[in-house]
Amino acid sequence: MEAFFQALLGGLVLGLIYVAIAVGLTIIFGTLRLVNFAHGAFYAIGAYVGLVVAQHIGVGWAFIAAPIVVALFAILLDRVVLRPFYEKEPTAQLLVTFGIALVVEESLRLIFGATTQQYKMPEALQGSFTLGPITYPAYRLLFAGGVIVMLALVWLFIERTTYGLIVRAGIRDRIMVQLLGGNIRQASTIVFALGAAIAGLVGAAATPIYSIDPATGFAFLVPSFVVVVVGGLGSFWGAVLGGLLIGELQSLTNLVYAPASSVVIYLCMALVLLLRPQGLLGESEVIRQ
Amino acid sequence: MSAADNTAAQPALPRSLLAADLRFALLCAVGIALFPFLLHPLGGYSTLATQIAIVSIASIGFNLLLGYAGSLSYGHAMFYGGGGYIAAILLLRVNPQHPNVWLCVIGATLATAFLALLVGAVTVRLYGIYFALLTLAFAQMVFFIVEQAKDWTNGDDGLQSLPNALLPLGSWNIDLTAHLPSVDLGPFGNLGELRLWYIFAGICLILVLLLSRTLTRSQFGEVLGAIRENEQRSSLIGFNAAAYRLAAFTISGALTGFSGALRGLFDGSIPIDAVGIDRSGSFVIYTVVGGVQTLFGPVAGTAVIMFLENVLSARTPAWRLIEGLIFVGVIVFLPRGLSTVLKQQRDKNPRGLFVRSLRPSTEEPDPLLKPAAEGHRGGPMSIIETFKLGKLFGHFAAVRDVDFRVNPGELRAVIGPNGAGKTTFFNLLSGTIAPSSGTVNYKGREVSRSSGTSRVHLGIAKAFQTASLYSDQTVRQNCRLAALARVQGPFKLQVFRRSTRLDDVDALAERAMTRLDLIGVADVRAGDLSHGDKKRLDIAIALATQPQILLLDEPVAGMSKDEARKTEALIRKLSTEMTVLVIEHDMEMVMGISDSITVLHQGTVLATGTPSEIQANPRVQEAYLGGHSEAELAHG
Repeated sequence: MEAFFQALLGGLVLGLIYVAIAVGLTIIFGTLRLVNFAHGAFYAIGAYVGLVVAQHIGVGWAFIAAPIVVALFAILLDRVVLRPFYEKEPTAQLLVTFGIALVVEESLRLIFGATTQQYKMPEALQGSFTLGPITYPAYRLLFAGGVIVMLALVWLFIERTTYGLIVRAGIRDRIMVQLLGGNIRQASTIVFALGAAIAGLVGAAATPIYSIDPATGFAFLVPSFVVVVVGGLGSFWGAVLGGLLIGELQSLTNLVYAPASSVVIYLCMALVLLLRPQGLLGESEVIRQ
Repeated sequence: MSAADNTAAQPALPRSLLAADLRFALLCAVGIALFPFLLHPLGGYSTLATQIAIVSIASIGFNLLLGYAGSLSYGHAMFYGGGGYIAAILLLRVNPQHPNVWLCVIGATLATAFLALLVGAVTVRLYGIYFALLTLAFAQMVFFIVEQAKDWTNGDDGLQSLPNALLPLGSWNIDLTAHLPSVDLGPFGNLGELRLWYIFAGICLILVLLLSRTLTRSQFGEVLGAIRENEQRSSLIGFNAAAYRLAAFTISGALTGFSGALRGLFDGSIPIDAVGIDRSGSFVIYTVVGGVQTLFGPVAGTAVIMFLENVLSARTPAWRLIEGLIFVGVIVFLPRGLSTVLKQQRDKNPRGLFVRSLRPSTEEPDPLLKPAAEGHRGGPMSIIETFKLGKLFGHFAAVRDVDFRVNPGELRAVIGPNGAGKTTFFNLLSGTIAPSSGTVNYKGREVSRSSGTSRVHLGIAKAFQTASLYSDQTVRQNCRLAALARVQGPFKLQVFRRSTRLDDVDALAERAMTRLDLIGVADVRAGDLSHGDKKRLDIAIALATQPQILLLDEPVAGMSKDEARKTEALIRKLSTEMTVLVIEHDMEMVMGISDSITVLHQGTVLATGTPSEIQANPRVQEAYLGGHSEAELAHG
């Protein structure tokens, strides 16, 4: 029973990471129509920046530096490489962002080596939290709470700001949004940087839990795409639902039959794609892109 | 191909073509024979040359899918590794006393072809990221199965030290691991470094190159390219897009499996990475770096990247970064790959090879071209009919309870204010969307559930409100594609013959262009046409499918007055030979050419009658005149 609750909590933490990455993917898709295979790279860069800052300056600074550095990197990427690809077919976007992911992963491997690394949280956060029979590391609960607060802020951004309006409108009809004018360019850069910063921050924050190696970004990206597809491309609540579903599914399968935990999410995605191609909460119009 | 070649009545594979293929094969053979000796001074070794030749086959297969069908698979490792494992298992389990290369390779290729057929059956209806992710998902499932079936696959350790298989050929039993005779070639190494394997792999590569060349230039390749360029149009001239994509996926998977089987036998081992996600990614890299949609691109890309991997990895830890930078650089600066630098004239547009030289046709069309119009004009049976037809979008009823009936040969206009459901109604008739309720009958037979593609073959063709064309192809090629669909049917695995050899196709296309007055621009790229010509070409495409009913959605919208009148006259002429349904806002035209008019309003039929009855109908005036002035309506 205890193992079950442990797995449930573990699934929540894992699922929230997926949600955070998937929300970034979704808002970027909404504004830029960009299918971003390099999004995992943002997570990895954030994690390594967090690692370096935490080890040399302080853990608190890591949580500030990681999203800023990643956001700046994203803006650079947007301006220098990606611009011409926004209007191209999805396959070209997949290819170029896949290439960027490759370059980032290999650069990280050159700089930091291939070994798995981790940084320790301060003493105060290393304790455990006990509730009845369940003992759980305090930092994981704090992490979960932090991600939920962050997601709430992102939701407010989407629902309550002008940029958010552009995101929501863009998911429905990008051409119309372009015709209406407004500062789409600026908005898209901001949304791209925001989506990247979320991934970067989560990367830094999750490193004490999951550790990091150069391939981690891609390892988190693929399930996050599964989350987006399961939840519905372009849907915030779809990403939330899909992320928690996939996280729990993976964690609980791990408990029952560990070797299947890597494949169960793909089975889940295949089923969703075949039965409800637009995803659980997706709108059917965006499916064909 | 010269014009003379085309016009002569010829068998499937004329001698000139065979000779060209032979020349091509010889050229490839020379290249492949020289390759290991060019590799040697650069630091490559003979094993690498063989591996490159083998893996190139998989890349060629991958390119068939990515380049020619336009689908990015992120799961081709399931075929590559799958082929390798199946070959190894056949080697170990079936008659291990007499290990036979043929058995392993052919068995593995057939098995992966079957796997590709199964996976393709569920994936080919998806596009872009969805297709990539679903192929990835299947590859991960295959990985899981391979990892778990330890008794057969040895799990994570892979299969090592496979026995050496022999290649029975006639009365010989060839040992492919035997070395060639030792001949010192100075800086180019020694001939004796090569094993017979290289010759075998080289021959396989030549055969696959020949296959790829033939296939992409064939009728099959032509249609595949058309579907990639404009799937909507391709479906509505009568090509079964899903079947074509499935065929391409299956061939692609089989070639990749073939390559994996060869690699396993050559290496004598299969690592589990052969079915891993990085393997899938490597085919993307090889093909894109070399050049998609090119014949030699995948081979060049495979050679360059595998060479870098093997030679650079020993010298610098940054080799994978270099590989990634090359990949990104190629995508950003050379979207068609490295091979475009080496060679400007290439298969960039394989359809370009099908252009017939312009041969003005003055002869009268043969009887074949007459639209089948039995029961023409005033026959007792309606040609198309709907009962209580309805379409819901969410809770919005775009079309509801429409009873509609058109007699053969009639020219019926469908009019109504914006948002009346006219285009939705046409889509229900043409089969682009399925009805929520009610039925569509065509010549007394219910067709409500049949697809748009099959309705084209029954004789219902449509021209779009916004012209849907193959912009990169000439007017003639546009019409030829539609005619080809009529002549060959929804799907034909014609991979050896070119469509240029079908005279019916040319005649049909010629006739369609003549009818829409497009002969003058026959060899102009469709994307470069004026707006009016584009709209007329769209009608010509529909016409080239030899329809019995032609659905025209606002055929003169956006045209100048002169153009509109000219198009109107052409449509009037068409209507003497077939049933024409036309949506139009141009009242002058509607009143001028229609035999009868149906008025749609808020998704329902408001009135049907002759132009004068409609003009006199008070309900029509009431509902309709919001959009158009009375004078305008009365003009006709």
